Amino acid sequence: MRNRYLVGGPITPILISELMTLGSDDTAAGAVSIFIGKVRDDETDGKRVTAIEYSAYEEMAVKAAEEVISTVRAAFSDVRSVIIVHSLGVVKAGEASLFLMVTAGHRDHATRACRHALEMVKERLPVWKKEIY
Amino acid sequence: MAAEVRVLYFGAAQDAAGRTDEQLTAGDTASLRNQLISKYPALNQIPFRMALNKTLLKEESALRKSDIIAILPPFQGG
Repeated sequence: MRNRYLVGGPITPILISELMTLGSDDTAAGAVSIFIGKVRDDETDGKRVTAIEYSAYEEMAVKAAEEVISTVRAAFSDVRSVIIVHSLGVVKAGEASLFLMVTAGHRDHATRACRHALEMVKERLPVWKKEIY
Repeated sequence: MAAEVRVLYFGAAQDAAGRTDEQLTAGDTASLRNQLISKYPALNQIPFRMALNKTLLKEESALRKSDIIAILPPFQGG
């Protein structure tokens, strides 16, 4: 991990399982909602994407991720934790590049807050991609 | 008063400027934007926003020495 929010390379199944244990000692959290974004092998102009190289304005991305978390926590009072991790560098098609996890007391805020966090991440995280064919 | 600031380029703006960062002198963000577009015409093709010291600019602002300006093409995370 480069910091709490950015990791070099793909978000591997091992990292996902480690992230899923965060907050697992919080026995008042009855709901966990997870979103995993993966690299798609889109085809443009007859060329198929084999990987995406992500870059970021890292210092601003940390600040933006913290703003997303505090906004989501303020908007959904039942939320107990929000985890955001985005990849940097090369991520192959089929591999994960974004991990979001929201824990809450109950399912309603867990699922809605996860969706809200996802939209905010797309809108606010200063991350760019370059397709590799 | 013109100030020397650090300009950082990201994403497609890096290709348009042909560099990752440089020092430039400008009095405010509006004049810096004009300076960048005339220096790097390819930037005109990118709908970039600017951040001043890691905060997205909502309106033009005066620049102070050692400010950090980032040139940010549309975000593409996720």
